[in-house]
Amino acid sequence: LTPRTEKMAVDQDWSSVYPTAAVFKPASVPLPIRMGYPVKRGVPPPKEGNLELMKIPNFLHLTPPAIKKHCAALRDFCTEWPSALDSDEKCERHFPIEVETVDYVSAGTSIRNPKARVVTLRVKLSNLNLDEHARKKLVKLVGERYCADTDVLTITTDRCPLRRQNYDYGIHLLTVLYHESWKTEKWESEKSEEDMEEYVWENSRSQRNALDTLLRIKASENLSPGTEEELLASEVVKNYRNSVIALKNEGETERNMSQYKECVKKLLNIQA
Amino acid sequence: MLRSLKGLVCHPPKLDHASALHTAARGCLSAAGSQGLQAPAERARAVFCTSESDPARHSQQHEGRHYSIPLEEVKVVFPHGLPPRFQQQIKTFNEACLMVRKPALELFTYLQNSNLAHPAVRYLIYGERGTGKTMTLCHVVHYCMRQGWLVLHIPDAHLWVKNCRELLQSSYKKERFDQPLQAAFWLKNFKTSNGHFLQEIKTQRKYVWGKRESTEEGRPLGEVVEQGLARARVACDAVGVVLREVRQQCRPGSFRLLVAVDGVNALWGRTTLRKEDKSPVSPEELTLVYNLRKMMMNNWNGGAIVATLSQTGSLFKPSSAYLPQELLGKEGFDALDPFVPIPVPNYSPMEFESCYSYYLDRKWLQHEKAHTEDGKEELRFLSGSNPRQLERLVAPL
Repeated sequence: LTPRTEKMAVDQDWSSVYPTAAVFKPASVPLPIRMGYPVKRGVPPPKEGNLELMKIPNFLHLTPPAIKKHCAALRDFCTEWPSALDSDEKCERHFPIEVETVDYVSAGTSIRNPKARVVTLRVKLSNLNLDEHARKKLVKLVGERYCADTDVLTITTDRCPLRRQNYDYGIHLLTVLYHESWKTEKWESEKSEEDMEEYVWENSRSQRNALDTLLRIKASENLSPGTEEELLASEVVKNYRNSVIALKNEGETERNMSQYKECVKKLLNIQA
Repeated sequence: MLRSLKGLVCHPPKLDHASALHTAARGCLSAAGSQGLQAPAERARAVFCTSESDPARHSQQHEGRHYSIPLEEVKVVFPHGLPPRFQQQIKTFNEACLMVRKPALELFTYLQNSNLAHPAVRYLIYGERGTGKTMTLCHVVHYCMRQGWLVLHIPDAHLWVKNCRELLQSSYKKERFDQPLQAAFWLKNFKTSNGHFLQEIKTQRKYVWGKRESTEEGRPLGEVVEQGLARARVACDAVGVVLREVRQQCRPGSFRLLVAVDGVNALWGRTTLRKEDKSPVSPEELTLVYNLRKMMMNNWNGGAIVATLSQTGSLFKPSSAYLPQELLGKEGFDALDPFVPIPVPNYSPMEFESCYSYYLDRKWLQHEKAHTEDGKEELRFLSGSNPRQLERLVAPL
């Protein structure tokens, strides 16, 4: 019995061969695919009766022409995109919060799907009105949900049974986070060096070491020590401070280390 | 073992020839004029070898060349400092040859121009595994010994934080722990290398060791060292006393002090030692480590501190870590800040040529293909110009 592949025309309508997600049928797919682990000195097994090809999910029902047909069919149910929102920045400016919900359709007795109650809210923190302290506190409060590279806060809620309730809960969370991050509690003044997100040079061990060393150098040369502010404001100390901050925050690269070396040499008056 | 025996057997005729020429060269000519008047073999040797055996006179022109240290000096200067593989190499070749490299030369300029009235400057040698940090440190130690500095050389601080059989509770401070074996070993080597200083330096305070022993004020430091060697229980405290005295008496007028520590990241890391109730011991609780940390501070003047970071012996650190912050940790970096970092890279092409010709000259490379250009390129590729890898590759050849 000749397989159907040999009777297929080249310009046939593929979406009628695979209208829905279906198992891989070797007699219906006219491609010479091989898949599997080859035996010694052999080739991967052919597609006939190939369990590997049948096990995996295939997207033969989602070719671009098929997608075009889906979109054409869905167009009757959609409204027009507002013409004023033609760029991404405008969308972000007017609608900073993006709400994502998923609807599921399946052939079955019930139209309900428990996965449909999940709601995802995405906000860029630059669109929120936060000062330095509020921003750091918010980032600490949300933890994993904030992505520092893209500056996006993502809140996913699914603890309520209905989608509307989850959406309300998500908005409530956002509001509470915003207001709480603006408040300053009494115990926040006990923030120590380990809690800091990035390295702060003022009042650090490095600053104290540098000042001690400079004072001792001045004392050994019998010069007047000068006040701490003068020492801190001098050019050498400022460069040293920048190099230490770069080292700690950005990690150690060749450039950072050589910069640090130059600054330390200038600070301690070492001639080469 | 067989390898080294073979090397020794075919050595004597070449060695006499080489050492005779070498002493002649050192005796009458300086390195600059050596090329003109010697036989072609020596001219070839002079490319990678220099007869300048005083590190103080090493300079840019000697870069990439090997210089040899007389064996008697090796016994005095480095009783415990050299890496074990290099010690084996010394035994095989019957001479100790060190390559002059840029990081060491840089350190020499810094040390020469250092102002002794200022607080001690800390220099940190760092680099990837096997690039020659310990050898650079040994070069610096040799230089300082020649210049007459007092050298406090701790060969490997990692040995003090791991594999200790005996951990005694310190008699001086209740919560600290002593390590008598390591302390006694170090005191013995310190005596060998700095014997002459021990008579000159006098104690400034009375130290009481036990119910019946004490050291009066004004006695030479040698007595403290003897006390530490004789009674193992007080060895760690003797080390502490030595460090303290040396630090306080080091002024611009008197001797100069070099503190050379290998594997300084051990002082701020973790230890593998445990107390009797199986709780881990942190480094501050060890007397030796505590005293050494005080030396690493820059609150004294009249000398310099040169330290090496080492991943090889370090505990609980990944093998790819070589940067100062990774190995020292936050505490260590803050304690050593501000320091001058000195990176030690792999061999440059010139240094690789020099090392390769040295091995060839010493007849260490016996394989026929190793003498060809292709062989050299292969060695260069396989070792990645890494000194340790090259040495390991070349050993069975």
